[in-house]
Order: sequence, then structure tokens, then C-alpha cells
Amino acid sequence: MSIVPVHLCRSNNQAISAPRAHLNFATCLLAFSIAAANPSFADQQIVIATTGGTWERQMREHFFDPFTKETGIKVVTVSGTGTENVARVKAMVATGKIEWDLYQAGEIQAASDLHRTLNEDMTAFCADYLADKDLLPDACNRSGVLSGYGTTLMVYNTESFPKGGPSNWRDFFDVERYPGPRALPNFNDPWRVMAAALLADGVEPKVLFPLDVDRALKKLNDLRPHVGLWWKTGDQSTQGFRTGEYVIGQIWQTRAAALKQEGQPLAWRQDQAFLVGDRWALIKNAPNRDNAIRFLRYFLDHPDAQAKVCEALVCTPARNSAAMAMGEAARAMVPTSPEVFDRLIKPDAEWINANTQLLIERWNEWNQQ
Amino acid sequence: MTTPMRIGKFAGRAAASMTSSPSWRQYPLGVSVFLIAPLCLLLGFGFVYPVGRLLGQSFFAPEFGLDNYRRLLETPLYLRVLARTVFVALAVMSASLVLGYPVALAMARLRRGLSNLVMACVLLPLWTSALVRSYAWIVILQRRGLVNDVLLASGVISQPIKLIYTEGAVILAMTHVLVPFMILPVFGAIRAIQPELVQAARNLGAGKTTVFAKVLLPLSLPGIFAGCLMTFILALGFYVTPALVGGPSSLLMATLIGQQTTETLDWGFAGALSTVLLCVTLLIVLLFRKALSYNRGISNVA
Repeated sequence: MSIVPVHLCRSNNQAISAPRAHLNFATCLLAFSIAAANPSFADQQIVIATTGGTWERQMREHFFDPFTKETGIKVVTVSGTGTENVARVKAMVATGKIEWDLYQAGEIQAASDLHRTLNEDMTAFCADYLADKDLLPDACNRSGVLSGYGTTLMVYNTESFPKGGPSNWRDFFDVERYPGPRALPNFNDPWRVMAAALLADGVEPKVLFPLDVDRALKKLNDLRPHVGLWWKTGDQSTQGFRTGEYVIGQIWQTRAAALKQEGQPLAWRQDQAFLVGDRWALIKNAPNRDNAIRFLRYFLDHPDAQAKVCEALVCTPARNSAAMAMGEAARAMVPTSPEVFDRLIKPDAEWINANTQLLIERWNEWNQQ
Repeated sequence: MTTPMRIGKFAGRAAASMTSSPSWRQYPLGVSVFLIAPLCLLLGFGFVYPVGRLLGQSFFAPEFGLDNYRRLLETPLYLRVLARTVFVALAVMSASLVLGYPVALAMARLRRGLSNLVMACVLLPLWTSALVRSYAWIVILQRRGLVNDVLLASGVISQPIKLIYTEGAVILAMTHVLVPFMILPVFGAIRAIQPELVQAARNLGAGKTTVFAKVLLPLSLPGIFAGCLMTFILALGFYVTPALVGGPSSLLMATLIGQQTTETLDWGFAGALSTVLLCVTLLIVLLFRKALSYNRGISNVA
């Protein structure tokens, strides 16, 4: 489908003088680079922004490659961190040069007004799945299609607490009964840390939101000298556990599972763990919109592949049948049963979105004290 | 009619400002423009335009006015972080100078082979990513890290002391990353000093310290200035190292700007923060130059 006639690219034409040949060569190079950079010259494809790493490998194996095999649509991936991807989507929409089709947004981000201005309203798409009782509630809504749920939970070192470790956030903040350094995430979305402090201070989960920031920070004041690790990346949280930087921590379930698999003396509590999902979002005016829609259908219609991915990444898939298809061991690690699921803390996305600036500013201030 | 005069003036200025041949005059204007055009275009599209847009947004997003700047000035947090950023950058610069100058001096004095070896040792860390070096510092400074282990084993301390997630750790790790940027220009400046000057000073009875204070140091000032400028400006924009080694309490301006660009997506405010950082940087650099220009050595720096 190249715009440059192919005969120009044959350089073995004796009649062409040397400079002309060079010129032709340059034209061909240019044509190839345009073809490579501009998706519209290529055959059928979709461009998906990923967060790279294991996630992308698993998705490629269980979704991208099988999808290409079935439909002939090539899946091109671009990787960056989650927040970087959102920032780039914002820039693309602002300049009107949309290069991607799909990306994943965090559940909280996906509920924001900004998300709605950047991405297509999926209500019409979801209409086909309204009657589908196998899907988790709200798995398909106007903001996008649920990819899976993960949790941030409390872990502890069983060797440090042979008589039984901490069982909830109250114990996490109780340094007398459960001595030892703690680990907390050091992100730019501090609601999980504040929420844990409030739960420890006796706030009922039902009335947790809107967060009482003052009370949370006051509670955190007492814990601050005992925090041995403020982790910024998932690797820091795993490495910190191995080297004893902390004995009780708030870390991602994915990382906790990885530590357990390598034989670390680690146990976790799913009670009052924080539940956060990721959603597929379809960018407005995406260049390969129809293919992207096909991919989303493919994603929702393949519970077996969802099960495989979540088995590897330790997540809760969007379909109940997928959760059932997961191996026994993997299923035990993630909150799939309704009882456990109900005890999880679900963030109030609307409140968090409305107060992002306030949360960051208060968090920064508290850290500077 | 004015042409010969103008050339004469140019030649005079060129001869005054540099000793090498003014090669730029050997090419016609068209060729010169053609040669520098790629770099100018690259800088224009890749740097000036996007940075200008970001800075411009600080006045226009969400609406026209100075609201972003008002917020910045009214919240004590931002000014405090700005002051801390400048302080950390100055500390890193001073530490780099103190650690880097002797290395540069030694390199300039060593035999060629040895000097190349030291040069390789200085440059090698530049090829490793800042991320890897930050993690290395974590391994050394953490609770059960190398330093604490040694101190515990030797009985100096009974409890692991807090080394990581402190401002000291940030300054240390940043200095480690930036010290080559100090060594290289200082080395260049010392190399350029004619050995005869030192010999002459010695002949006239100056001791080693006097030679250093009156000959080497003043003549290497342009290198010191260049090195200080580079390390200072680079330190102002550091992002990865403070985030990993410093923990949440060591907020620097780059982290704040990152929060606003990717987390809250408030690019107007991010632009305001960047503008203020840029202005403060320029101001400090100007003051720096003013202060040093009293010394003659500095007139060699463009």
C-alpha cells in the first residue's frame, strides 16, 4: 500500500546517473520511514498503549497474538507508565493527532470528567453485554471495559511474628504489639495510605469517604518514625521485604504473590484490602476504531484467556467464569469469592477525582513537616 | 564600502576573543546557515516550541490570568520546595567541586596512559543509568545495608541508623551522578595551562601552595565555572534519584512538576512551576557570573 511506486526503489537501473540514484534511494528511505511511522499505510492494525513488562508479555501471549491469528489485525504496542500514557493521550487529543487506539486507565481515573472528554462513550458498546450475568457488575460502562481488578493489601513477615501477625490496619499502626519497620507506598495518589490510617483510627469502612484528611495525617504522624521504606516502584517493595527493610507493609498483591512464590516467609490479609481496577479506554477519533471495538469484544468473549492472564499476574478477571477457570492455587490468592470481595475497600472515585489537587497538596505538606 | 571595515572589525574581535583560526569565516553565509539549520530546526521543534507552549499554558490554563502564579506564591509548600531545591543543588555543586577538583588536577599531571585510565574510570559511571546508580546507593545505605552492617559489626552502633531517605543521601547520590560533569571541564582548563607558567613561578621562589593559589587555581577558574554551572543546573532538574533515595520527605521541584503533569494533569500549574524554576535558575546563573567576573580569569568564559 506504499504511496511511492515500487519501481523507483530499484537501484540497479543502469540508466540512472549516480546523483539520481542517490535521490531515489533517499526518496525510498523517506517513503519507508513514513510507512513505518504512519499507521494508515500499514495493513489492518490497532495501536495499544501498555505498561510494558510482564503485563504486556502475558497480554501478547494470551490476547494480542491469538487475536491477530484469528482476525489478521496486527497489534502494535507502545509502552510507558500508566500516568505517562494518560498524559500522552491528553496531549494527542489536544493536538488532534491521535496515534493510539486503546490504553488502560485506572478505575479512579476512568471515572473522571477528563477521561470522558478524552475517550469515547462506550454505553452503546456495552448495551450488548447488559444481559450478560457472567460479567462482574459494572464491568462494562461508559468509561470503558474492565480489564481486571488488583488489590493493595497488608503483608507481614511470618518469621517476625511467630505467634500470629497483624490482622488489620489497626494492628498495622500498633507498633507496640507488632514492633518493626513498616513499608508504605510513596505515590502521588496518597488516598490508600490515608484510608489505611483512618481505618486504623476506627473509621467505619462505610463512611470512609469522603476522607477526613486531617484525621488521617494526624494518625500518620505517630507512625512516621516507624516507616522503614517509602516505596516508589513495585521492585522496591519486593526488594525491601527480602532484605528486611520492613516486616509489615502495604504493597501490591501482584508483588506479594511473587514474593510468596519465591519462598519468602510472607503472609497477607485480604480483609480491608484496597480494590482498584483497570479499564480499557477507547480514545476519541482513534485511527483504527473498528478494529479496537473488535478487540474489546474479543477480550470480553475469551474468559479462558482472561483466566490465564490473571493466573500469571494475580488479578481478578472481569468474568466470573474466568475466575472459575483459574487454577486452584491462583484462585486462592485473589479475592474472587463474594464474601471476601464484599470486605474489600472500594475507593470513591468521584470524591478522589474531585480532590486530587487537595490530596497531593496536603500530602506534600505533611511530608515536608 | 563598509565591507572591508566590517571584516576588519570582525577579524579584530575574533582575534581578540579566540586564538584559533576563525573557521566560520571561511564559508559563505549560505553554507553556514545550511550547516547550522538542522540543529536549529531540531532545537526549535523539539525544545523551544514545546517548552514555550508549556510555559505559555501557565498564563492561559484553565483561563487567562495569573491564577497559577498566585496559587504558587500563596502556598508556602511551593516556595519551601523551591528553596530546598536550590539548596540541594548548591550542596551537590560544592561537593562535586571539592571531590572533583583534586581528581582533575591529578589527571592533568599523570602520564598519558595513567591519565587515560583515570579518565575511563570517571566516564564509565556516565554510561550506567541514573536508576541503577540510585539502586546501588539504596543497597549501600539501607537499614541492613553495607554501611549499617559494618557499623553494627564493629560495635560503633547498636541499632541500625537511618541513612537512606534523608537529604544527605540525596546529596550524596546526586553528587555521585554529577561529579564527572565537574571533573571534565576542570581537567580541560588545567590541561590548557602552560607548564612554563608553573615552572616560572617555581623559579621565582613560589612554594607549592603559592603556585596552586596564585597560578593554577585562577587559571582553572573558567573550568570551575563551567563545571559548577553544569552540575548546578543539572542538579536543579533531578527527578529519579531524589524520588528513590530521598523518600517522600525530600521533595524537589522536578517531582512537583512531575506530579502536576502526569498525576493531576494540571498543565497550567506545571507550566507555572517550570517558569519559576527556569527564572530562578537564570537569575542565580547571572548572579554567579557577576560575582565571579570580578576575577580576571573568568573573562575567558563566553
